[in-house]
Amino acid sequence: MPTHDHYVIIGNGPAGNAAAFTLRENDPDAAITIISHENICFYSKPKLVKYLAGKVDEDALAVRTMDEYRRRHIRLRLGQTVAHIDPDSQSLHLSHMEKVHYTDLIIASGARARLLPSMKPYADCLTFVTEFNDTRGLRKKIADGSRFFIFGGDLVAFKFLKMLTDMGKQVTLLLYPRAFWPHRLTKDMQDAIVKNLAPTGADILADDDLDTIVQDQGKYCVTTKQGVRTQADLVFSFNGLIPEVDFARGCGLEIDHGILVDETMRTSLEHIFACGSCAQIYNPDINTYTTSIGWPNAQVQGKVAGLNLLGEHHKVRPAGRKYFDLEGVKIKTSWWEDLEKGKDT
Amino acid sequence: MKTIDKDINIVIEICGSAGEGTISAGEILSRFMSAQGFEIMSFDAYPAEIRGFGKCVAHTRVSSNPIYSPGKLADVLIALNDNHAISQLSALKKGGILIYDSQPPKPHEEDESVVARADAETISYGVPLTMLAQKAAGNARGRNMVALGAVTALFHLDRDAFTKSIKDRYGKKKQIVIDSNVNSFLEGFDWTKENIEKEDTISFHGVTPPQTKAEQKREKLIINGNQLVAKAALDADLKFYAGYPITPATKIMEILSKELPKHGGTLLQTEDEISAIGAVIGAGYGGIRAMTGTSGPGFALMTEFTGLSVMAEVPAVIIDSQRGGPSTGIPTKTEQSDFNAAVFGGTGDCPRVVLAPTDTQSCYGATVLALYLAEKYQTLVVILLDFFLSNSIRNIDAPQKPAPDMRHANIAPDPADLADYQRYKITDSGISPRAIPGTPGGMFFATGLEHDAYGRPNYTDKGHLAMTAKRFRKHASVLAEAPAPMISGMAAGDWCSNTMMPEQDTGGDPSGTGIQGLEEGAAGSSPGISDNDGPQEMVDIGVISWGSSAGAAHEAVMTAAGEGISAAGFSSMMLSPFPKKDLAAFAGRCKKILIPELNYRGQFADFVTTIIKRPVERLNFITGRPMAAEDIVEKMKEM
Ligand SMILES: Cc1cc2nc3c(=O)[nH]c(=O)nc-3n(C[C@H](O)[C@H](O)[C@H](O)COP(=O)(O)OP(=O)(O)OC[C@H]3O[C@@H](n4cnc5c(N)ncnc54)[C@H](O)[C@@H]3O)c2cc1C
Repeated sequence: MPTHDHYVIIGNGPAGNAAAFTLRENDPDAAITIISHENICFYSKPKLVKYLAGKVDEDALAVRTMDEYRRRHIRLRLGQTVAHIDPDSQSLHLSHMEKVHYTDLIIASGARARLLPSMKPYADCLTFVTEFNDTRGLRKKIADGSRFFIFGGDLVAFKFLKMLTDMGKQVTLLLYPRAFWPHRLTKDMQDAIVKNLAPTGADILADDDLDTIVQDQGKYCVTTKQGVRTQADLVFSFNGLIPEVDFARGCGLEIDHGILVDETMRTSLEHIFACGSCAQIYNPDINTYTTSIGWPNAQVQGKVAGLNLLGEHHKVRPAGRKYFDLEGVKIKTSWWEDLEKGKDT
Repeated sequence: MKTIDKDINIVIEICGSAGEGTISAGEILSRFMSAQGFEIMSFDAYPAEIRGFGKCVAHTRVSSNPIYSPGKLADVLIALNDNHAISQLSALKKGGILIYDSQPPKPHEEDESVVARADAETISYGVPLTMLAQKAAGNARGRNMVALGAVTALFHLDRDAFTKSIKDRYGKKKQIVIDSNVNSFLEGFDWTKENIEKEDTISFHGVTPPQTKAEQKREKLIINGNQLVAKAALDADLKFYAGYPITPATKIMEILSKELPKHGGTLLQTEDEISAIGAVIGAGYGGIRAMTGTSGPGFALMTEFTGLSVMAEVPAVIIDSQRGGPSTGIPTKTEQSDFNAAVFGGTGDCPRVVLAPTDTQSCYGATVLALYLAEKYQTLVVILLDFFLSNSIRNIDAPQKPAPDMRHANIAPDPADLADYQRYKITDSGISPRAIPGTPGGMFFATGLEHDAYGRPNYTDKGHLAMTAKRFRKHASVLAEAPAPMISGMAAGDWCSNTMMPEQDTGGDPSGTGIQGLEEGAAGSSPGISDNDGPQEMVDIGVISWGSSAGAAHEAVMTAAGEGISAAGFSSMMLSPFPKKDLAAFAGRCKKILIPELNYRGQFADFVTTIIKRPVERLNFITGRPMAAEDIVEKMKEM
């Protein structure tokens, strides 16, 4: 029987797509819409590094083709931004002043680069890479440049470092112990990372901090608190991500860093779910909410959100055994895997 | 030498409501691009009703190479009005660019914004058009200029040169009008530079326009077909125009109403089209160059009088700018459905001359030629324009004024003729020396009745045959004076003439018709002819076209060549008499024939089959839009 349901998903990443395709598999009739402020089809963020290195073309980034959405009658609203949510009228306000009504909403808006408060005065000098839009023009700059400065120490920072040194570029990394946010790298961890990165040939600065960045004729001069001065064609900042949820604040949703959800991906408001990097998920083992990292996590949560929206009762299970390998250093972090058909509580 | 580092070939459409400055923004854009040295072709589409409300679209194709057709789909759609622009999305290319107002005056309900309705592949840029216009000028009127500012920033156009184009456009207005337009433009430019992350690949950076600086010094006209017809008529010493207003021909009358008196002529607005053609025949009888302009419904009314022009051998020129028909039809949509009416319409054996310009430039040559042929051959000449040709705008080289013998072509009787003046004397050419009323000794009868050489009624079978044959004999001579057919995609044989190859344009003939050749008395000879004694190769597909579809057809032939289809194109401005020999020779070198035209039944295709006596493929549209090269190429691929 046809329904008049309209499931709206904010976000065209792995969480949003897993949710949309799960919904379609289980509800052939509902209207399903994905909204994304990016003007590009679902692509692989992990592959952005190879793309920037010039090893793959834009086409290779695509995870799904537009046709897959057409065939499944999933509507894509690309290049459109949600400005705020009105849960009372069950509608979204898009920044171009259009209202979109939903019967159920899944927020999968991901995360954006974290700008350290101390770095605010130098924001214009920093290059972040969290989405495809950030890479426009960057490929050429990387190919043309010879010296790069990386400030940070999250997963992407190390991927970038290796990508650049493999390309024969000179790289300086200023390792920031709070970069793998919300975890803090201990002195031992930092030492191990410095040691493990030695074969790359990069200059690694630890136990130091950024002092100033001066931009002159398209180049940057970086000075650290210890007085090290380095010239660079670009200064990258990789200090972790923070959930992209500003548009959801003030609508009644409970939000800390991310949107608070229980293990079923339900938010504090009816008809609204959240999943992926924008969510902060309740972890009963430690009785607190933790943010989600990584592509597979986002997929699992998207699927759970989709199924639960349709009335099922699945939980994401915190997997205690998952470690991130940060250049040989194992960091234990929240991880969700496997679907567990939960018992109704 | 031309140095084109990078080619540009894009179609930009601006869509808004009438009164939102859609058409003027399109005009400024076209003029700017032309001033930058690019080729442009543009036209406006608006509702049939009186302008002032409803959807308007300003369509502009810009290219660094010669343009033959307007381009079917847009690369860029600028939406000044979401409501109207939604229906225009179907004309945007897949992966095209949409520029829309991200802060409209009123919020949209769900799915009522243009960006909501765009395909997922569309690259959409939201620019707060209304808000920026308000900021720049205190009101929303400058949204169109904000949009042009956004285009300038996005596609790396020359900001200062564009500002100048805006100033030029509003030059005669009050300073406040100029300032608010310029400020809105700059506001749009700055905002876009600051806020828009470019996601498309269109860029004019590093593009060298086709015209070198020296060439740019040549006077360029930015003009449409109607304006060129009026200009040509004035240059060719038109002295009388009678007409009744009708879309899409009204503009000709409008221009002439101002200009003709300045040139010592008279414009008469009659009560209907029957009176108009009657007045034109009267003026022609009186010995002055006279013309009328109309569209299908008016042409139908004129039919009876057209016979009089032929029978009484009185010069008369009718412009029929075709629109959707029959009857009142679709006044603001283009069509080519008056072919049969123009070539065969009316009663009796009625040889007339019918010319159909194939592009804007040739509207000039066709008008000069029509007035010349009508006068010299003392007959009816019909020029078939259409809505698209009448209204589409090109930047062209200023045409050369017609030579004196094109402006005064009457063959007057000499004293020996006047001794026993036979107004309808049987001659080899079919032309009988014509005395203008008032010529001493040159009195004669002129009626719609069949007559003898003196003009006296004569109904004998022999007399009727002799006179009919004489009138038809004019055709052979007319054909000898006609511009030769345009051929594309095929090496010229000894039968063909205006050969157009992909890398060539019509070069040194600014009228684009071979009219210069006529000035030199080289009519019918073949400028640019290349003798081809060797074996003539067959092509797979020959595309035969006429009128405004010819540009698209020749472009399709050139495009198809790039896609590995061997094809050639043939078009003739002269429809009656028709260059049948040339056509047959052309068709003989084509394995298959395709005839694209803008009417339902394939009127021209029917006509061609009677000449080449073999089946042809037809491609017919009555969508109201001009013929698109893309559609022809698609059809060629299917063949
Ligand atoms: C360079 C790079 C390399 C990475 N490498 C790896 C890796 O190797 N392995 C791994 O597991 N993970 C990796 N990640 C992390 C991984 O990509 C993310 O964890 C994952 O993409 C999160 O998925 P998500 O669906 O939650 O959000 P995202 O993929 O971030 O998607 C968020 C979506 O929300 C949309 N959105 C946000 N706000 C709005 C709004 N207001 N209105 C409309 N749309 C909005 C965005 O347009 C986007 O479509 C990498 C990330 C980066 C940047």
